[in-house]
Amino acid sequence: MLKVKNIDTFYGNVQALNQVSIEVGEGEIVAVIGSNGAGKSTLMNSIAGLVPVKHGTIEFMGKDITKAKDYQISRSGLIQIPEGREIFPNMTVLENLEMGAYSHKLSRAQMKEKLETMYGLFPRLQERSGQKAGSLSGGEQQMLAIARGLMADPKLLMCDEPSLGLAPVIVDGMFDIFVRVNKEMKIPLLIVEQNAFMALNISQRCYVMENGSIIATGESSVLAKEDTIKKAYLGG
Amino acid sequence: MTTMVIQLLITGIAYGLIYSLVGIEYTLVWNSSGLLNFSHDRLITLGAYIFGGSMILSLNLNYPVAIIVTLAIMGCVGALLAMGVFNRLRSMRSNIFAIIGTVVLSKIIAEFIRLFWGSGNMRVPGWLSGTVRIGNFAITVANIVITVVAIVLVIVLQLFFKFTKSGKAIRCVQQNKKASALMGINVNRSICITTGISTIICAVVGLLVIPLVNISATMAITIGLKGFCAGVIGGFGYIPGAIVGGIFIGIIENLATLVIPAVYKDAVSFIFLIVFLVVKPTGFLGKRA
Repeated sequence: MLKVKNIDTFYGNVQALNQVSIEVGEGEIVAVIGSNGAGKSTLMNSIAGLVPVKHGTIEFMGKDITKAKDYQISRSGLIQIPEGREIFPNMTVLENLEMGAYSHKLSRAQMKEKLETMYGLFPRLQERSGQKAGSLSGGEQQMLAIARGLMADPKLLMCDEPSLGLAPVIVDGMFDIFVRVNKEMKIPLLIVEQNAFMALNISQRCYVMENGSIIATGESSVLAKEDTIKKAYLGG
Repeated sequence: MTTMVIQLLITGIAYGLIYSLVGIEYTLVWNSSGLLNFSHDRLITLGAYIFGGSMILSLNLNYPVAIIVTLAIMGCVGALLAMGVFNRLRSMRSNIFAIIGTVVLSKIIAEFIRLFWGSGNMRVPGWLSGTVRIGNFAITVANIVITVVAIVLVIVLQLFFKFTKSGKAIRCVQQNKKASALMGINVNRSICITTGISTIICAVVGLLVIPLVNISATMAITIGLKGFCAGVIGGFGYIPGAIVGGIFIGIIENLATLVIPAVYKDAVSFIFLIVFLVVKPTGFLGKRA
């Protein structure tokens, strides 16, 4: 579905990504792990078109999107749930969800049906639907960000550091949701995480990043057993 | 005495709504692009010249057609400014560039006006003239029209932002540009629409103040500054704040003429501006520090 080939990304003169290649296939959950500053978020933002790519190509569902604008990429079904939630704080939960479906022309009934699906996944959001999104707790805001992303009917969902700053119980619940989204809605996921344990647990394949490059890749279950990975990312 | 006070109140509300509209107009640009548009008073002037100078005095169009054509032209001017200037300025590294950019833009518009329409003053005979007597009170037609138009405009804007897709997209862009882009919103286009709306409001202000100040190169300078005061006093970057601040200034400066000579009237709002900046910089309704 998504093929990233040898991309280089720069911030000014500083090279943030160096010859990075990753792939996500139909129905897969793929994880990207690595420490702070390894370039994971830059990779996400490069794919989403938020930062320009200098060399290399990005292909999504057979189309070259390397030079496409951020909003065009989102309209093509490649949806990113950004790091730090980035919800619209002065809008209600309901309005946030409606904005998720911005690129689709939906009838009132279709919109209602979609909202019902989201409220089914996240009952908490239904209770809060009339509240300003900025008044939600961190966990609820993350739920809202995920639901808002799903409202767009993604063909592929990218999640940037979804567990950042959340309590462990909430993180567990959230990863369960990701597995359900993948199984029930058949949406492939690309998850970037510092929480390597969780990421390796739910993904089929994994890429390990360091200093802007991919340093290891393979089946998650195999990677999780490798000594170097264990030492560097799993605390043992 | 009471008749006098009520008379001043009515005038104050009309003037205040003008300041509110000015406050709304630059708050829209500030919220969506993060730029303080220092050329906004020239855009008000431009609107007045297009309407009075070209549509009425040169082309002799009737009022409704002249108004529609003027607003349409100004909307396009706004969208073009956003495309060519504001969207470029806002992505520059330092906002010093943005400030200098809009200041220079204001000079360019001013000189364009002088080249195109000359430097003399203009009057539009018959436009919003006359007075209506209600009981003991004499109210000018201009004041009535200002009040009605401003209220209708504010309501229409609120409905637009609350219920239409582009209106909601504009609110999203104001709150979070990155997330907006990820929702599939074309941020640059949304800023063009916002700036277009803002310049249309400028034009409306220009048309409404013609009977109060006549058309001249400097007609909107004081109004522009007081609109800025309205924003600060009501709560910067917050549209209801601009409305409240504008009406507050309008009423206070008119009531002040009861105790101070009318020539000092203009100083009142600036004194309040300084007092608010020192004592309560967030204004009446502002939340952020």
